[in-house]
Amino acid sequence: MKRFSEKQPTLLNQADLKTFKGKLMYWIMFAILICVCITTFFPAVWMVLTAFKTPQEMYSSAKLLPSDFSISSAIEQIKTAWNTLKLGQSMINTLVVSLGNVLVNIFICGLAGFVLSKKKVTGTKLIFVLVIWTMMMPGIIRTVPAYMSYLSFPFVVDDKLNTATNINILDTYLPIWLGSAANSFNIVLFKNSFDQISDSIIEAAALDGCNNFKTFLKIMLPMALPVVAFVSIGALSVAWADYFTPYIVLKDAAKMTTPARIFMLKGEKNVTINVYMMGLIFASVPSLIIFCMFQRYIIGGISIGGVKG
Amino acid sequence: MNKKDKKRNKPRRFRETLSVWLLLLPAVIVLYLMIWRPSVMGIVWSFFKMNGYTPTKFVGFQNYIRVVTNTEFWPVMFNTLKYVFWSFVVGFVPPVIIAFMLNEMMHARRTLRVIIYLPAILPGITILLLWYFIYAPDSTGMLNMLLAKLGMDPYIWLNDARFTILFIIIQMTWAGFPGTMFLYYTTIQGISSDLYEAATIDGAGPIRRFWNVALPQISGLLLLNVVRQMIGVFQVMQEPMVLTGGGPNGASNSVGYQLYQYGFVQGRVGQALALGTIVFVILIIATLFYFKLNKKVEDNL
Repeated sequence: MKRFSEKQPTLLNQADLKTFKGKLMYWIMFAILICVCITTFFPAVWMVLTAFKTPQEMYSSAKLLPSDFSISSAIEQIKTAWNTLKLGQSMINTLVVSLGNVLVNIFICGLAGFVLSKKKVTGTKLIFVLVIWTMMMPGIIRTVPAYMSYLSFPFVVDDKLNTATNINILDTYLPIWLGSAANSFNIVLFKNSFDQISDSIIEAAALDGCNNFKTFLKIMLPMALPVVAFVSIGALSVAWADYFTPYIVLKDAAKMTTPARIFMLKGEKNVTINVYMMGLIFASVPSLIIFCMFQRYIIGGISIGGVKG
Repeated sequence: MNKKDKKRNKPRRFRETLSVWLLLLPAVIVLYLMIWRPSVMGIVWSFFKMNGYTPTKFVGFQNYIRVVTNTEFWPVMFNTLKYVFWSFVVGFVPPVIIAFMLNEMMHARRTLRVIIYLPAILPGITILLLWYFIYAPDSTGMLNMLLAKLGMDPYIWLNDARFTILFIIIQMTWAGFPGTMFLYYTTIQGISSDLYEAATIDGAGPIRRFWNVALPQISGLLLLNVVRQMIGVFQVMQEPMVLTGGGPNGASNSVGYQLYQYGFVQGRVGQALALGTIVFVILIIATLFYFKLNKKVEDNL
C-alpha cells in the first residue's frame, strides 16, 4: 500500500488526505474510476464471452458465460468462425494497405516536414500556411468529389467528360494510400519535431557530402524516432479501423480489407451472432498487437500531439 | 560577400531551390489531389448538372434548390444539431473530470490508465459493430441481457425514435473519450505543483483549487475542444450508417449520412455536392472562429 504522505500536491495534497473528508474524496474518486473502467472493459468482455457461445445459447438463455468453457470447444469455435468468415485474404490485404500507409506517411509527410522545417526556400512558407489551413478543412465536402477524381484521375487525362479514355483508380489501393498521405496533421507533427534538431547537424552532413534526401533518411528520421513511430502507428491502425474508404473504393471482394469485409458481413444470413463476434475479435487482434508492441510511443505521442493544442 | 560571388552562386542556389521543391512536391501533389482540388471542385461542380459522376452543364442553383426544398432537409439539419447538442450534454464533461481524477490517483494508476484507454485501442469498425449488438433490441443484446438480469423486459434501444440520437452519442462518447481524456491528462500533468501549493497557503480547499487553479490552466484546451467537437460531430456519418441506417424512420439521419445516401446510394450526385457545399460553408465559419480562438488562446499562454 502506498502512503499518502508521498503524494505530489495536486488537487488533494498530503494534508487533505490526513483528514476524513480528504480520504473520503479520494476513495470516492477511486470508486468512480473503477466504474469507468467497468464501462470501458465490460463490452469487450461481453464480446469475447458471446463469441464463445453456441448459436442456440445465444437466443435461448440470458446467461453471460458460455456453458461449455473448455479449451477444446473454444478452439472449435475459433476454427468454425475462421472458416465461415474467410478473413484470411482480407487480413493479407489489410497488411499490404497498412504497410503502404506507413511508407507514404514517412516519405511524403516526413519529407514535407523536413523541407518546411529545415529548407525554407522561396515559396515554402506559402505551402506551410496552406498545410495549416488544410488541417481544419471539414472533410465532408470531399467525399463525393474525391470519388469523382478516382473515377477519372486528374493530371493523366483532362477530366472533361470522356470517361472511356480516363484513368480509373477505383478498385486499387491508390486512393487509400493517397488519402492516408494527405495528412497535414502529420506534416506539422514532423515539422515540429524536426524543428528541435539543431541546424549545425544538417550543415555538417552537407559538408560530408550528404544530399538533402540522404540527410533526411540518415539523420532526420533516426533523430525523430518517437514521431516516426507515432505517425507509423497511426497509419498502421487506420488501415485496421476504417471501413468507409475501402468500402466505397474497392469493388472486388478479393481486394477488400478486413474492416470493410466485417462491415459487409453484417447483413449475411449464415453468419450467426457468435461467429460474428469472433470476427470482431479477429479484426481487433492486429490493433491490439500494435498497441502492445508500441505502447510507450502511443502514450508519448499523445503528448507530442497535445503540445500544439 | 561581393557582387561577383553572388552572381556565381545564383545557378547553384537555383539548383538547391529546385531540389528542395522536388522533396516537397509529393506532399503538395497529394494534398492537391486529395484535399485542395476536391474541396474546390466540390463547390464548382455543385452548380453543374451531373450525369452519373460526370458534370455536364451549368445549371446555377438548381441542385441547391432541390436539396433545400426536399422535405427531409430541415429534419436532417435539426437531427444534426441534436447530435451536436447531445454530444455536449453527454460527452464534454466526462473526459475532463476523469482526467483530473486519474491525475489524483496513487493506487493502480497504470492499470486504470490502460483499461480506460481500451476503447481507443479497438479499431473503430469493431466498436461500431460491437455497439450494434450491445443495443440489439432482442434478448441477444448486451443491454437487454443486463435488463433481463434485473428482471426487466427488453427495451428497443435504437428503435426508440425519441432517444436514438442520444444512444448513438453514448456510443460515440464511449469510443472517443479516452483520446480526449489523455489530451487533458497530459496538460493537467504539466500544471506546476507550486501553483497548488500557493493556493493551499492562501487557504483554498481541494474544490477551490479545482475551480480557481486547475481549471483556468486548461481553459484554453477546453475552449478549443468545444469548437473541435462541434465541427467533428456535425459531420457524423459512419455511426448512423452502421448503427441505424438513419432510422427508425429517419430519426437518426444526419447531414453526413444524407450526403452519403445522395452521393453513393441514390445516385443524386449533384445534390450530394450541393449539400456538401452547404455544410462546408457552415463549418468553415465555425473553423474561422476556431482559428481566431486558437490565436487568442496561444497569445494568452
